[in-house]
Amino acid sequence: MKGLRSLYIQVGIGLVLFILFAVLINNLSINLIRTNLNFSFKWLYRPASFALAEHPLPYSPSDSYAWALFIGWLNSLKVIFISLIISTLIGFITGIARTGRNPLLKIIAASYITLIRQTPLLLQLMFWYFVGFLSIKGTLIFPNERILVLSNQGIKIFGDINLTAEYSSLVIGLTVFTGAYIAEVVRGGINSVPRGQWEAFRSVGLNENSGVLKIIIPQALPAILPGLTSQYLNLAKNSTLAIAVGYADIYAISDTIINQTGRAIEGFILLLLSFLFLNLIISLMMDFFNEIITKYQKV
Amino acid sequence: MAILLMKKINKLINNVKRTMFTSSLDTFISLFITSILFVCTVKLSKWFFLKANWTVVEENIPLFLFGVFPADQRWRPSLWLIILISLVVLTLFTPSWSFFRKLLPFAWIAVIPIGIALLAGGIGLSPVASRYWGGLTLTIFLMMSSLFLAFPFGIILAFGRQSKLQLIKYFCSIYIETLRAIPLISILFFGQLLIPLFLPVEIEINRVLRSIIAFTLFVSAYIAEDIRGGLQAIPKSQIEAAKSLGFNTFQITRFILLPQVLQIALPALTNQAVGLLQNTSLMSILGLVELLGISRSLLANPKFIGQYMEVYVWLAAIYWFICTIMALVAQNIERKTTLVKLI
Amino acid sequence: MINPIVSANELVKTYSKGLIALNNISMVVNKKEVLVVMGPSGSGKSTLIRTFNGLESFDSGELEVVGITIGTDPEDRKVREIRKRVGMVFQQFNLFPHLSILENITLAPIQVQRKNRIEAEDHAMELLSQMGIEKQAKKYPIQLSGGEQQRVAIARSLAVNPELLLFDEPTSALDPERVNEVLDAMRKLAQDGMTMVVVTHEVSFAKEVADRVVFMDSGKIIETSSPNVFFNNAKEERSRKFLNQIIK
Ligand SMILES: Nc1ncnc2c1ncn2[C@@H]1O[C@H](COP(=O)(O)OP(=O)(O)O)[C@@H](O)[C@H]1O
Ligand SMILES: [Mg+2]
Repeated sequence: MKGLRSLYIQVGIGLVLFILFAVLINNLSINLIRTNLNFSFKWLYRPASFALAEHPLPYSPSDSYAWALFIGWLNSLKVIFISLIISTLIGFITGIARTGRNPLLKIIAASYITLIRQTPLLLQLMFWYFVGFLSIKGTLIFPNERILVLSNQGIKIFGDINLTAEYSSLVIGLTVFTGAYIAEVVRGGINSVPRGQWEAFRSVGLNENSGVLKIIIPQALPAILPGLTSQYLNLAKNSTLAIAVGYADIYAISDTIINQTGRAIEGFILLLLSFLFLNLIISLMMDFFNEIITKYQKV
Repeated sequence: MAILLMKKINKLINNVKRTMFTSSLDTFISLFITSILFVCTVKLSKWFFLKANWTVVEENIPLFLFGVFPADQRWRPSLWLIILISLVVLTLFTPSWSFFRKLLPFAWIAVIPIGIALLAGGIGLSPVASRYWGGLTLTIFLMMSSLFLAFPFGIILAFGRQSKLQLIKYFCSIYIETLRAIPLISILFFGQLLIPLFLPVEIEINRVLRSIIAFTLFVSAYIAEDIRGGLQAIPKSQIEAAKSLGFNTFQITRFILLPQVLQIALPALTNQAVGLLQNTSLMSILGLVELLGISRSLLANPKFIGQYMEVYVWLAAIYWFICTIMALVAQNIERKTTLVKLI
Repeated sequence: MINPIVSANELVKTYSKGLIALNNISMVVNKKEVLVVMGPSGSGKSTLIRTFNGLESFDSGELEVVGITIGTDPEDRKVREIRKRVGMVFQQFNLFPHLSILENITLAPIQVQRKNRIEAEDHAMELLSQMGIEKQAKKYPIQLSGGEQQRVAIARSLAVNPELLLFDEPTSALDPERVNEVLDAMRKLAQDGMTMVVVTHEVSFAKEVADRVVFMDSGKIIETSSPNVFFNNAKEERSRKFLNQIIK
């Protein structure tokens, strides 16, 4: 009786959705026929004929669109994984400082967090790129040529690692931004540990710094991990703002390709798939960490 | 008197000693930071007061506020911004028991059609095409109208995801998860490209509307998750009590679940709104001249070339200020709804 | 012969893990009767009275409540009709935290019964003064003590003029010194002729107010007796064992 009614409702709703999609798809195919673009992925094998400034693997404009996309993917990974590590460091240090006892550090951490969280990431990225790198005149050397050289070409570390200005500003912008968000996650995690734990480690004579690192943080980790995961996923998504500083990541390259070929639908599907895949990697990685932590804490 | 003062100072010194100089490492960190802070402050104030050339900001205030809106019609966006500011002030300062407070939600909703009427014109006002909209006005308009549309849509998605009807449940889940998986910039970009493709040839919609649709599709997925979080925080026994009184599903949703969910989810929803305001800046790389977009074209003007720092500091201040105001309004609403009801 | 308000016929209910919560239950509740249900924890008391207003379904058998017959897969409409005419009071009060006391009580009369607000509020105030808490009308649930909250919950279920009131351990979540204020309110209701099914461990209340006592164990009704017989001279061995445990 009840089952039948809910079946009717579902069939009805299914029908409405179906008709809606049918109309949309119909419009789409009319529009595609009008512009002579049939749905297909064959164009992926045609030469891309645009140059890329940065490519971790050999690439030339005569290579295919597919290869260009793959290079874009590698470029994205290069940004995401470095930023992920540095922003975690910044986030933990700031989060601990924010909950610590030193009032000076507390104020600095709090102002850093509010300044970063209340302004758009895009603005911050442009700041790092245009103000941070492009307006450097000549070279800035810290402490000598062997260690660190800054110029409007980018960063040179240890004399032979060259990072372009685009890559550097993107990584700096993303890490500074994500670090502030991770700091808030860490603060929440630390605050979820009962106050008695602080008294406990003080009473056994541990000093403040090692107490927080050895006693508090391990207990806060389970509460921190879910928030950390979603910040990592955000970081991956935010890395697509690379286009604003002219770094050729997966999105920037898809954008160029679509503008050249007009293949918006196919491009969208490829981008969607690559992000689903990326999210999967990050989630699996975090599940793995979660497992390690729970195991470690049971022992 | 003097003794009291001495005691206080002593206490302060002790406090500083205890918190900043307990170990040699702490002492080192504290001194190091103080010196760095000092140097930075001196350098920044030097730049701010002596080196910076603020004419780029001073000369272009109308541009930052209204973009390239026709100069003789600028009173229209100004009027809208003034209405908004008065609403913020009213929301912050009317006491919770006052009669006006009940009207405030309606005023906030009404402000969107008023904005459209004032910006687009038509009824007695000379029409202004949406490509002339810009600056802070457009930023706020994008944020408010997307939020206004995404809110009910997100609520429907959240309840849909909890539905007992499998079809609806899966549809909503797939929608929410897909939109949360992909970056906003791609949704906005493809929104610009694809929305016209999915519509009949005759229907043309402008860039502003397309971006509002894209923002709505994106934000509603996130709002749906916040609402779902709120729904899960309500004990099932509440629903049983309501059922026992004879309420039907709609009445339970309307009178028992929604009011509690909105209260629980308010902080998360505020974060979404603040995030949305910041994200409207993405439209600056997709052809709208909202606050960041107009600044980019300003910086391309040979007259102001290289004045990135001044413009960016100014923009950061505006965004920071508006985000803070939004957080304040949300806190105020939260206090006034929960204080009365729970304390 | 007057029809009983509840008549259950061979009700069986199994939870998903294969646990039999109701095992062939047949019973009636007559008009103006106060029926007390007792039994050890997990014996199926809650499950039983929750089937009476459709909060739990059952696997086989038949149930008639306030003249409406429902089977194993009842229509929503019928279940809601029953719920409109049967009130329920829970162990944890389950007041709506976002509504004032008065709003808690008037919401159902206004929204479900479509009474006008003034009338509903007058009735609510009357019920609150009957419960002795008319001063709390403007407050919110968390500002009240447990005993007061439970009396509000009773007033709320009375506001729709139910023909039957179900109580699931209404005093178990209260501080001991607050138990009597709730029991007193229930005694008054019984004197006014309300039909009630009460799951409780309060022996003195049962002795004094109950017309009959039903004793359950492992999903079965073991014994149905008058309180006099049940508390002084129970027929079944298991009942006596249980009474020994709770009176001790
Ligand atoms: N939702 C449920 N799912 C599975 N088992 C349940 C559920 N509710 C109750 N039970 C089980 O059914 C039996 C009867 O429960 P209940 O009616 O609550 O007993 P009582 O109210 O007499 O303590 C218990 O063994 C309980 O564990
Ligand atoms: Mg029970």
